[in-house]
Amino acid sequence: MPGVAHGKRAIVNASRPRLDLSGWGLRGTAILYLLVMIALPVFVVFSSGLQAGLSEFWDNINHPQAVSALRVTLITATIMTVINVVMGTLTAYVLVTYRFPGKNLLDVLIDLPFAIPTLVTGIMLVLLYGPQTALAGFLQEKFDMRVLYARPGIVLALLFICYPFVIRAVQPVLVQLDQRQPEAAYTLGASGWYTFRRIVFPAIRPAMLTGGMLGFARALGEFGAIVIVAGNIPLRTQTAPVYIYGKVEAGDMAAASAVSVVLLAVALVVTLSVDWMQRANQHG
Amino acid sequence: MKRIFPLIILLVLLTNITGVQAQDKPTITLTLAAYTTPREVYTEVIPLFQAYWLQETGQRVEFQESYLGSGAQSRAVAGGFEADVVALSLERDVTRLVDAGLITHDWRDNAYNGMVSTSLAVLVVRPGNPKEITDWGDLTRGGIEVITPDPATSGGAQWNVLAAYGAVQRGNVDGYSADAEGAYTFLVDWLSNVAVLDPAARDSVITYSRGIGDVLITYENEYFAGIAAGDEYDIVYPSSTILIENPVAVVDTYADDHGVREVAEAFVEFLYTDQAQAVFADKGYRPPVLHADDETATTTESDGGSQWEEGALDPERFPMVDDIFTVAYFGGWDQIGSDFFGDDGIYTHAIAEAQ
Repeated sequence: MPGVAHGKRAIVNASRPRLDLSGWGLRGTAILYLLVMIALPVFVVFSSGLQAGLSEFWDNINHPQAVSALRVTLITATIMTVINVVMGTLTAYVLVTYRFPGKNLLDVLIDLPFAIPTLVTGIMLVLLYGPQTALAGFLQEKFDMRVLYARPGIVLALLFICYPFVIRAVQPVLVQLDQRQPEAAYTLGASGWYTFRRIVFPAIRPAMLTGGMLGFARALGEFGAIVIVAGNIPLRTQTAPVYIYGKVEAGDMAAASAVSVVLLAVALVVTLSVDWMQRANQHG
Repeated sequence: MKRIFPLIILLVLLTNITGVQAQDKPTITLTLAAYTTPREVYTEVIPLFQAYWLQETGQRVEFQESYLGSGAQSRAVAGGFEADVVALSLERDVTRLVDAGLITHDWRDNAYNGMVSTSLAVLVVRPGNPKEITDWGDLTRGGIEVITPDPATSGGAQWNVLAAYGAVQRGNVDGYSADAEGAYTFLVDWLSNVAVLDPAARDSVITYSRGIGDVLITYENEYFAGIAAGDEYDIVYPSSTILIENPVAVVDTYADDHGVREVAEAFVEFLYTDQAQAVFADKGYRPPVLHADDETATTTESDGGSQWEEGALDPERFPMVDDIFTVAYFGGWDQIGSDFFGDDGIYTHAIAEAQ
């Protein structure tokens, strides 16, 4: 659970004990583990994507279907992230600030999406928004909006899957927030909204971004739920992971790797910027 | 756990007893790598073969069965999954194993060209056929939603594209000229009515059974599987369609490595017997004898063919279609791969133009 891990990491970093008893052995093991488990597979994808040369790599990612698939993935992931950051922050704020019955249950429910196979997530959405359901009929009739087998369906699936990220990033920061500051602002006559905007928001902004970006990175690679709800029509609702799957099935590994490299690069940039923001936050 | 223990003990005892009985001939293991849809067939055929083989030779055969999408299964075997027998959905997936040097014999050398089951690409509609779908031509009407699997992810889905394309090119669809141009135009019109492209044929059936779409293009055997599962649809046989042929073959390299060539070959042969074909037919697969172009082809005799007469080959269950063509009409799978589904292929252009 990256979201949770992040929240803890920030705390651990702040008071890192300097244990030197382990020396190089422990460090070596950790670095080797990272290399073998993460760096090596990533390297293989990069090298396989670029194997045939840059011009073929470029042709592969410039293929109209590939471009469209990447665009659908990036657009839906971005929309999801915006909603997730706003609603996730709100949820975290409510969870930390207010007391209400069922709060503990809600707090437990938040992590559920991590445990549900995303394929099941897709099926749940089909059951909920499928054409025979009242909800789908209502949306179709009132708003002429089709959820399933269209982009809204993809965004919904991603929102479900990435639901915990922002909440779990923001929540610990809010808990640690020195309550005297907003209280002081409040007693000095600031409105609730003004207090939130000027005191609380600056404190949780890095966590909001971190949670949002981790969710975004997670959304880029989502396959199981999307393949069920998206309809997978090339140039319309086909996402990059589904396109990659098609290329793998067709035995076109060069094209599959090339598009994977693009997704990886985006994820890498996102991860690096999250890291950079965390550092900036610690030093600033 | 408490309940399982007596079972385990019972199993151990049973294996001991049987082990004593067949002491002179040790149990051998055969690994079958198949595509997903005929799973129901093999779960019934395998016990029949085990009984047959025990009776013939006094030897027990155990089966390890693996079911995976045809393309994925073929790649797994090519990549080192040591299956003795493969049952795949289309010839190209067997050709991959020939190219990999794993199948060295002429696997097409029997009366049915190595094809153990056949089916037709058909149209499935809602009960009572409310949208009055009668043939391929209706798929391009405005407001008709079509469900078909994605040819990019499902090799089997390519049958559907070829069926429709061939039907037009052969002059069997009104409103489109009987040539490549007419067939291409039809393809574009049809694909723009496609609502969902599921990754595999079975997924399409599931999508359709959830109430999505007006017409599902699928195989006749999938229609029968859906009916057997309790779904309600009607089937529409187009006037012209493609004959789907599913190959089966012994994988020479692995069968020899495991020393099971004899039983592997016997199993493949057994699949063509009336006894096994009756199971195929029961599950909705057309026995290859129905469409064998070789006049002399008959089913091999094993039990007098009595099961055959009783319904399995009922002409009402497997009605004939006016015009049936095979992949040979398109020049075989190699040609189809580049002509239709390659980067510059007919389908690739049509799906892009349809958006």
